[in-house]
Amino acid sequence: MIWFIVRRFLGLILTLWAVFTVSFLLMHAVPGGPYSSERNLPKEIEANFKEKYELNKPIYVQYWHKLRDILHGDLGPAQRLLDFNVNQVIAQGLPVSACLGILALTFAISLGLSAGIVSALYRGSPADIVLMSLATVGIALPSFVIAGLSIMLFVFMIPIFPAAGWGTLRQLALPAICLGSVYAAEIARITRTGMLDALSQDFVRTARAKGLSQVAVALRHALPTALLPVVSFLGPAVAGILTGSVVVERIFAIPGLGWHFVQAALQRDLAVSMGLVLLYTLLLYLMNFLVDLSYGILDPRVELK
Amino acid sequence: MTARTWFLALVLVAGLAAVTWAVRRGQLSPADFTFGNESEVASVDPALTTGIPEARIVYALFEGLCRPRADNNLPEPGVAEKWEISEDGRIYTFHLRKDALWSNGEPVTAHDFYYSLRRLLDPLTFSRYSYQAWYIVNAKKYTLGGGELSPGDLVEVELPLAAGATNTMRGPLLRGKLVRSELSEEEKKDEDTAGGNRVYVVAIDGKERKFQAASKDDPLKSGCERARQVLLDFHEVGIRVVDDRTLEMRLANRTPYFLDLTAFHALSPVNQKCLEKYGAPAWTQPENIVTNGAFRLVTRRLRDRIRLERSENYWDREHVRLNIVDALSIDDRTTALNLYMTGMIDWVTVPPAEVVRVFMKEQPKRNDFNPAPQLTTYYFLLNTTRPPLDDKRVRQALSLATDREEITRVATGAGEVPALSLVPSSMPHYQIQPCAPFNPEAAKKLLAEAGYPGGQGFPKLEILYNTDQQHQAIAELLRKQWQRNLGITASLRSEEWGSFQDSQQQLKYLVARRAWVGDYVDPNTYLDMFVSGGENNCTGFANPQYDKLIADAAKEPNKVKRIEILQSAERLLMDEMPIIPIYYYVSRNVVRPRVRGFYNNLQDLHPLNAIWIDPNVDKQAAVPNEFMEPVP
Repeated sequence: MIWFIVRRFLGLILTLWAVFTVSFLLMHAVPGGPYSSERNLPKEIEANFKEKYELNKPIYVQYWHKLRDILHGDLGPAQRLLDFNVNQVIAQGLPVSACLGILALTFAISLGLSAGIVSALYRGSPADIVLMSLATVGIALPSFVIAGLSIMLFVFMIPIFPAAGWGTLRQLALPAICLGSVYAAEIARITRTGMLDALSQDFVRTARAKGLSQVAVALRHALPTALLPVVSFLGPAVAGILTGSVVVERIFAIPGLGWHFVQAALQRDLAVSMGLVLLYTLLLYLMNFLVDLSYGILDPRVELK
Repeated sequence: MTARTWFLALVLVAGLAAVTWAVRRGQLSPADFTFGNESEVASVDPALTTGIPEARIVYALFEGLCRPRADNNLPEPGVAEKWEISEDGRIYTFHLRKDALWSNGEPVTAHDFYYSLRRLLDPLTFSRYSYQAWYIVNAKKYTLGGGELSPGDLVEVELPLAAGATNTMRGPLLRGKLVRSELSEEEKKDEDTAGGNRVYVVAIDGKERKFQAASKDDPLKSGCERARQVLLDFHEVGIRVVDDRTLEMRLANRTPYFLDLTAFHALSPVNQKCLEKYGAPAWTQPENIVTNGAFRLVTRRLRDRIRLERSENYWDREHVRLNIVDALSIDDRTTALNLYMTGMIDWVTVPPAEVVRVFMKEQPKRNDFNPAPQLTTYYFLLNTTRPPLDDKRVRQALSLATDREEITRVATGAGEVPALSLVPSSMPHYQIQPCAPFNPEAAKKLLAEAGYPGGQGFPKLEILYNTDQQHQAIAELLRKQWQRNLGITASLRSEEWGSFQDSQQQLKYLVARRAWVGDYVDPNTYLDMFVSGGENNCTGFANPQYDKLIADAAKEPNKVKRIEILQSAERLLMDEMPIIPIYYYVSRNVVRPRVRGFYNNLQDLHPLNAIWIDPNVDKQAAVPNEFMEPVP
């Protein structure tokens, strides 16, 4: 177990370094830079500006300096949001994205699991067909369509939710549902498949033979096994959902990290881009690690080496 | 229940509690006036901002010598209560009012302006608007520093910062006379490093010393001392503090719009003590910042909102009627409109184009939408350095083959006016010099003269625009019109914003879209862009005659003659056609009827200090607000 954690930790360092290197090279290969503007700087001053951000240095010097700063935990000043440094951008945006993410996940997991279990238990029934059709629609519809429809429905036709913004739980309800619905649909489908698979296995037949109720068999015996694929799906999903959703954040004006991700890349804010890419890598890696750990708990057959 | 279920339940409860707590923290009391301020502002530092969302905030937080009037944006007394202008129009003496205070209660003095203007001009500030102060004697030379200096100039050598100094401080200064500067031909080639390689030989107290403005990791050449930068001695620049409340500025030429510039947001004063204590960017944080405008900065949440509160120290506080203002950062135009339609905000700056078209057709007419001419022109740049566009006849033919009416009818829709000139037709006291209007026959003839009869043998053109639905629609129309009227083919290329700027600057395009918002109400803000090698020229257009006209206009003391010279410059530009004008913008504000003190004006600038909320608006006797007054 300890060895497993140590190995994963080393893997994390290696992954972060590789992601850093590739992102660094890509960012310096694209045209434009943080100095690009519609009001152009005189050449002399542009040179000063490049000097300040070391953009005029040979690329290996820039690489080394950037790596050194990041190792010290300093992601540097943002190059477009001039009043902030990258650490502040993340500190302000991550909690917001995380809040929205937690709500969306709660919604997705509770809805997805229940729908999946019901579908599996009543396989072939009208309930199964309706739920699975909904799930297919949920996966197929992009979130901006769901967002647009839900705004028309719940903001203008039946005005129960505010149109956008951040500050109350009511403002978060619609974006959480829009963000969560895709995940709910995925979870429902995966749960259903997992449950069907588990329900046909010997240990479930044994449990039934012992005379346990249908509910006990489903929830206590079949569900833990059926959850394994759901958990592996949730790992990367959580990382993605915590770092924010571009579309949902934009449509609902939620000040999370998702839109920063896009804006930083478009505006050539190299520092913010790098910070967010590294943060995403870190979260993704951690979540996958947690998934592996939870396998050990959920499935007695798995041993972590 | 098993321990595992308990644990899961606990995690769930803790998670939801955390969310509730985090969301609660985000709650704020409602504001008196809330508006959608488009993208997150890049900065609230007056010297560093260029965008319009930024300008709205800077105008609320800071105030220059003059301030723009709410109705027509002309300069009116701000920190300066009065001023004298010398006979030749070149010396301005500003008298600062006694009751102009910083938000920390200290008086705003002439020294503050001296400090702030020097900072704006300092090349290490990287202000994109330093050119707005270049009308002051020697100011341009100061900003451009090293390369512009010649032997005999008095210079200031800024030594590296002392240990522990904040990044807003300056290093110790040495003053002397420049003997010579050395830079080999080889070193000159790389513009990015030339500045750091130049050696300045400066006579200080009769002794010659060598300085090099190299950054701290770079090695020095032999015999050189390290300097942060070598600039013209700031005493040579025409700004002088006469006493605490009197500031004198000497201009290189009579500049009729100089007062407008003193009201321009980039020339606002900043507080030296605050800057030097906290350093950049920490000084801009709400808990640190010291401002002198009608409002002070209370809350700043990235990509959420900026909250402003009426300043108790502002000299004209009696006329400021809003207590709390929220500027929301909303990137999505539809979202902003949704918020407006559900009553959450009072002003949408730019509604989506498709909605504008619906608004225009509504009957009875809306009482919150009144598009008005704005000082902005939409045009296409032509790369004059590349064939076939290096041929004037080809450029003219392209312009003649462009049906602007069709573009404004089909692609825009808020009543934009087709443009035949660079300077917008709404520019006061100026007669625009139009290019030839749409004429496909003449276009064909010119193209044939240039060697491409019926478009035969004409290379394929490429139209570049930054990714945006409306720009795409316009480029698409242009492509069709050229195809139809000239028989030439063009393709479209869309680039996202960063690459787009780069392609323009490095002339990596043939045809590219652009729009220019006037920095001040004078034709010069458009015309001086196209001097040879101008930073915002971006077409490769270089014409000595044009350069001379622009330079002459700047020097011309007679107002009427000056305008005539500018008009002949535009005539020349509209004959050479390095650009194809398409249309003049109209503003598209949507403003709630209860908002008063909001006026349509040329610069689409709406100072918050004049805005107030009419409590009687729902009653029968309510008067329509100023915004809805008919547009001239």
